[in-house]
Amino acid sequence: MPQVNSVYRHREFGAPLTTLADYERAGGYLGLKDALALTPDDALYAFHRSGLRGRGGAGFPMGRKASFLPKDTGRPTYIVCNADESEPGTFKDREIIERNPFQLIEGLTIAAHAVECERAYIYIRGEYEAQAKVLDAALAEARGAGRLGPDALGEGRPFDITLYRGAGAYICGEETALLESLEGKRGQPRLKPPFPAVAGLYGCPTLINNVETLAALPPIMHRGPDWYGSMGPEKSPGTKIFSVSGHVLRPGNYEVVLGETTLRELIFTMAGGLRPGRHVKAVWPGGSSVPVIGEGSLDVPLDYESLNGVGTFLGSGGCIVMDDSECIVRACHRLAQFYRHESCGKCTPCREGTGWLARILGRMVAGEGRGAEDIRMLESLFGRISGRTLCALADGAVMPVQSALELFPEEFAHVAEHGSPAPAPMMGEPVG
Amino acid sequence: MAEHDDGLIVLTINGREVRAPKGTMLVDAAKAAGIEIPIFCYEPRLGAPIGACRMCLVEVEGMRGLQTACSTPVAPDMVVNTESEVAKDAQDGVLELLLANHPLDCPVCDKGGECPLQDRTFRFGPGRTRSLEPKLHFPKPLDLSPLVALDRERCIACFRCVRFSQEVAEDGQLTFQERGDHTEIATFSGDPYEGRFTGNTIDLCPVGALTSNPYRFVSRPWDIKNTPSVCAGCSMGCNLEITEREGEVKRLTGRPEPNMAVEEGWICDRGRWGYPALRSADRLQAPVLADAVGRRNVPLERAVTEASGLLGARGARVGILLGDAVTVETGFLAGELADRVGGGTPAMVARTGIPGHGLGPIRALPGAQMDDIDGADVVLVVGGDPCTQQPVAELRIRKARRAGAHVAVIGPRPTALDASCEALRTTPGHLLDAAAVINERLQGSQRAVVLWDEADLAAEPAAAEAIARVVAATPGARAVEMCADVSGAGLRALGIPAAGDLLGALEAGDIDILLTIGTDPTTGPAGDRWAAAADRAGTIIEMATHRTGLTDRAALVLPMLAPLEDEGVLVSMTGRAQRLRPGAREAAGAAAAWELIVGITHRIGNPVPDRTPAQAFRRLAEQHAAFAGLDYRAIGREGAVIAAVPQDPGSPAREPVGDGLLIVPCAPVFGDAVAHRSDALEAVREPSRAALAPAEAERLGVRTDARVRVTTPEGTAVLPLEIDSRLHEGAVYLMVGDPSSGAARLLPEDRGPVRAVVSAAAREEVGA
Amino acid sequence: MTAHEIEEYLAPMRHEFADPRSLILPALKFAQGESGWLPAEDMAAVAEATGFSQAYVESVATFYDRLYIEPVGRRVINVCVTLSCMLRGSDEIFDHLTDYLGLDGEGTTEDGMFTLAKVQCIGACDRAPCLQIDSGEQIGPLEPADATCLVDDLREQPAPARYER
Ligand SMILES: Cc1cc2nc3c(=O)[nH]c(=O)nc-3n(C[C@H](O)[C@H](O)[C@H](O)COP(=O)(O)O)c2cc1C
Ligand code: SF4
Ligand code: SF4
Ligand code: SF4
Ligand code: FES
Ligand code: FES
Repeated sequence: MPQVNSVYRHREFGAPLTTLADYERAGGYLGLKDALALTPDDALYAFHRSGLRGRGGAGFPMGRKASFLPKDTGRPTYIVCNADESEPGTFKDREIIERNPFQLIEGLTIAAHAVECERAYIYIRGEYEAQAKVLDAALAEARGAGRLGPDALGEGRPFDITLYRGAGAYICGEETALLESLEGKRGQPRLKPPFPAVAGLYGCPTLINNVETLAALPPIMHRGPDWYGSMGPEKSPGTKIFSVSGHVLRPGNYEVVLGETTLRELIFTMAGGLRPGRHVKAVWPGGSSVPVIGEGSLDVPLDYESLNGVGTFLGSGGCIVMDDSECIVRACHRLAQFYRHESCGKCTPCREGTGWLARILGRMVAGEGRGAEDIRMLESLFGRISGRTLCALADGAVMPVQSALELFPEEFAHVAEHGSPAPAPMMGEPVG
Repeated sequence: MAEHDDGLIVLTINGREVRAPKGTMLVDAAKAAGIEIPIFCYEPRLGAPIGACRMCLVEVEGMRGLQTACSTPVAPDMVVNTESEVAKDAQDGVLELLLANHPLDCPVCDKGGECPLQDRTFRFGPGRTRSLEPKLHFPKPLDLSPLVALDRERCIACFRCVRFSQEVAEDGQLTFQERGDHTEIATFSGDPYEGRFTGNTIDLCPVGALTSNPYRFVSRPWDIKNTPSVCAGCSMGCNLEITEREGEVKRLTGRPEPNMAVEEGWICDRGRWGYPALRSADRLQAPVLADAVGRRNVPLERAVTEASGLLGARGARVGILLGDAVTVETGFLAGELADRVGGGTPAMVARTGIPGHGLGPIRALPGAQMDDIDGADVVLVVGGDPCTQQPVAELRIRKARRAGAHVAVIGPRPTALDASCEALRTTPGHLLDAAAVINERLQGSQRAVVLWDEADLAAEPAAAEAIARVVAATPGARAVEMCADVSGAGLRALGIPAAGDLLGALEAGDIDILLTIGTDPTTGPAGDRWAAAADRAGTIIEMATHRTGLTDRAALVLPMLAPLEDEGVLVSMTGRAQRLRPGAREAAGAAAAWELIVGITHRIGNPVPDRTPAQAFRRLAEQHAAFAGLDYRAIGREGAVIAAVPQDPGSPAREPVGDGLLIVPCAPVFGDAVAHRSDALEAVREPSRAALAPAEAERLGVRTDARVRVTTPEGTAVLPLEIDSRLHEGAVYLMVGDPSSGAARLLPEDRGPVRAVVSAAAREEVGA
Repeated sequence: MTAHEIEEYLAPMRHEFADPRSLILPALKFAQGESGWLPAEDMAAVAEATGFSQAYVESVATFYDRLYIEPVGRRVINVCVTLSCMLRGSDEIFDHLTDYLGLDGEGTTEDGMFTLAKVQCIGACDRAPCLQIDSGEQIGPLEPADATCLVDDLREQPAPARYER
């Protein structure tokens, strides 16, 4: 059950690394030094070799994505860091930004060297204003120290980072919606292709990565891609942060080596387990957009392939744990409301379908269900939404609910007839 | 063999082999092969596909999941299934979801019966939605403007109207607000949607969310008839469709199959909502005969007989004045009539409009069609203001700019293009100075299009000549004449001269009978002179749609059909001959001008051989080189470009007449007689006014809220004053609006350069 | 808020964006800082300062939850009600606050002091149930009593110099 604080360097250090001096004392900026000693192509190759996959949700190999960027287009190349972190149950990037902001800055600088970029943007969700201020200060300090600015990449190669604040919209975490938002538009996803690597920000080649992905780069460059690649399974090596929340006694972020920790260990050993007498009923291991799994799957090792093996995804690593005190339909209704609220409205199945799902589930919870008819309608709606939309938000809205219906058919049937039991009073049985 | 010798890509759709050029989207490839894939958001005229509605989902072998046919280009050997169970289920599913919050109030919806959503629901879908959930409600239907109504509950968020506003008209006004299932169409703080092109959003809307206020509850689709025709609002010659019911024009829309070489399916609001003018109070309904017995209505037959009696009288010296929107057949037949009147004394035939001496060289430039502007690398607008005078041209120019063309607007007037293009304001009367700039902008261009204004360059022949030289020297450069008159290009091609000589002859007492066809010279340039001259003629015969300044003095008034009621050919400013097709006949006692002329020749006893415009056209094509080889069939629905006619060579610079400030005339179509007669356009029509730069106004001691006296050698008008900091000093910008204001009358007969003395209006004039 | 003030605010960052459209969101957030919401005049000022149409600016503004085109209270209490918070009692926190503030669900108190809003996951599920005052630090885990104490504290505080929603 190895816990390795590679991205969470501040945990290793024992204190937040919010000054450049502290960060450097903790080994910061050694990765950049090593990266700059390589040619951009070699740095890119190191990303490849490390096996690092995107940590934002989709898990796309980071080096491969970076290698898609066309070179010498005569137009600028941009890097955009996705710090929108709005996936329910996910708060891992927040801690990086709050406590270890320089590692993100260093990671971005390394990536800039590899893809030969002069300006990066960090798109941070509007609700992270407190965190944005930490980042602002860190950026200013880095700039003051010459770590950003006209000579950030050495040999007169400039690089700087702009922090861009969102204003409250989950969909802006979807990469093309993010780009639209960053371009001053309504944050609605774009049709792909073209992919951002080819035509991203302002139509220019753009590398988009999650905070955690980019913050993983400094140790990779310093300790070497082979070190990183040696951790965990061959196909998806390295460390991953899981944000554990819900009915656990010690909610929080846990950085683990992929494949070497089971979900059970994460929940019971790291996150402190459940209240006495409670059982795990349902877990959304990768944020709210992934299929839910039950108690029977707790021994799954936490890595991309193993989680796929039990019918779910690693996703963002936002692990939401629910015990047997809660009604599954009520939980699903809550999620459906989230997706309904966050649907951007651009495409029909999602705009209309998420609301429809929420209304059916709402009726069921309220005891106004229509029994089997509602269940059939839900099943039919899942099929009419998923796989037919412009972006993955809608699939993310369907999967957690559809899987719950498959996992708890009797409970759904019961609630469809009789409604949800009243929620257990919070005071009666405090959690954690 | 995936790529054919002809460069077409071969693929399979529903088991059929289909060929399509590279880059074609699956929907279009399928459509060409007769396979319809349902769409809502796809509309290539609005730009690249956005894939929003998901209606067009199809199966493509080897591709994961379903693909949107509107955004998937054809590829060699692609195997597409648009009707498989999976594809069908996807299409049904999207439809059902679209209906989940749709009120389905088709019976009371103006779109009912011609609504793609309703249509689709009947043809493809389950016919209803299974949703039993309460539908979302939005604020109740409202007027987006006096012309456009919005019912948000019917909106399916297809983005079409928004994209039109943001990306085609670029007026920025119509947007989505909120998100998700709360997404709604809105303007800023509920302001009215104002613009020159707003009605196109109605045509674009695939549901009844955006509807025409003037058309509200007027007809139901099953009792209407639609006829393709052409707008006679300006020389653009936009194609449109006339909706008729019970003999009345009820609606005009952009043509469902656009003429891509002309208007691309867009029409301006003046064109769209001008039709109520057909039944304005001053529409002439019955012929009037004034003789010794008195003034009285007579049957049309009688009126025609009377006309032939007057015109055929031996020795009668006849002058025929043609208005600016008559068809070429009417122009041609007027010439035929001229040879048959006066018992052998041929009549003078003339058109209102600009003589155009000195425009020879610039008219000799290779001509462009509107769609050539799409691919241009440089687009120059020289003089005039297409945005107000040939509005739909503005949309093409914007499109070219979006596609990367350098667009410069060069001339004395501020225009709506200034904000997004290079605006080079010239000193009024000095377009000659622009030649150098034009030369500069054309350097290195390969496919430049220069749009030049007929009126402005006719006023400055030296500039016309210099610009012609520069453009002629630029390889690949072509020109478009922004004609001042709707039918100017056509009548000129028939060799019909401008009316200067006719006016002179009238004033000299050399004309006994003045026959006017579709014009009111008394409200136009030199209106006072025309009024006096007409009086000298002694006998006035008028063919007109509406009352004119001559109606009460005319011996004979023959009510005539308007272009929307008539058939025949109009030639647009790019020289494109296009067919008018009658939408309705609104005036009971009226006849087409060509019919009246034919009737008169019969009564005179020397009939023309033609019984229809088509026959007249065939003969005019035989006689006039510009139309050689054309017939109605060749013109079809896309029109046919006529040949250029040789022009007289350039002539020296002209000096303005009169004293004071140089007049910069502006003649917006929204200010024309039709706009002032159509009650639908009340809120957007342009009034006449005089506009001055602030410094000029100060010098003259006039204030914004004042009215000013404007005096030229042609007369005086008292007009509202507008002060506009974008204007040049040393000039008065004369906005020609309401015909009764007298603004147009201030201009000389040939619309040549003129100066005006401007002063504050006296107190007693202010109330006027 | 005048267009000029907004332009001054934007001036130093203009060069960071290849398209001035990108300035709209920062401009809106800045403008909102003055009165805590975005009256039509402020959106018009943003339009003028950035060079885009007023309707466009409003359309962008309405897309985002944390830009308000209707007046809100001096402080906005954003109670997260998404799954992780729900599992730990967010509904009780919310109900407790509605009672305490004398509201009937979401809304603004009569004195204009507070707007109570249900919001989606604010990225602090480790602190569930949690809330956020405007866009301040995420606060939690909360007991209903904590939430009302918080309100009392806020009532004592003066209006912020600039609103960060
Ligand atoms: C609805 C939706 C929301 C998303 N939200 C986030 C997010 O908040 N943060 C993030 O990094 N990626 C998010 N993503 C994934 C991004 O689209 C993208 O895959 C990611 O930023 C790429 O970075 P990575 O390769 O480093 O993971 C979201 C995707 C979808 C479909
Ligand atoms: S799936 Fe939902 S969020 Fe994504 S584009 Fe469609 S409506 Fe917007
Ligand atoms: S109003 Fe009509 S055109 Fe506009 S988005 Fe709605 S459905 Fe589409
Ligand atoms: S631009 Fe001219 S021809 Fe076209 S619709 Fe308008 S008035 Fe008619
Ligand atoms: S028509 Fe293809 S997605 Fe709308
Ligand atoms: S669910 Fe409340 S902060 Fe995440």
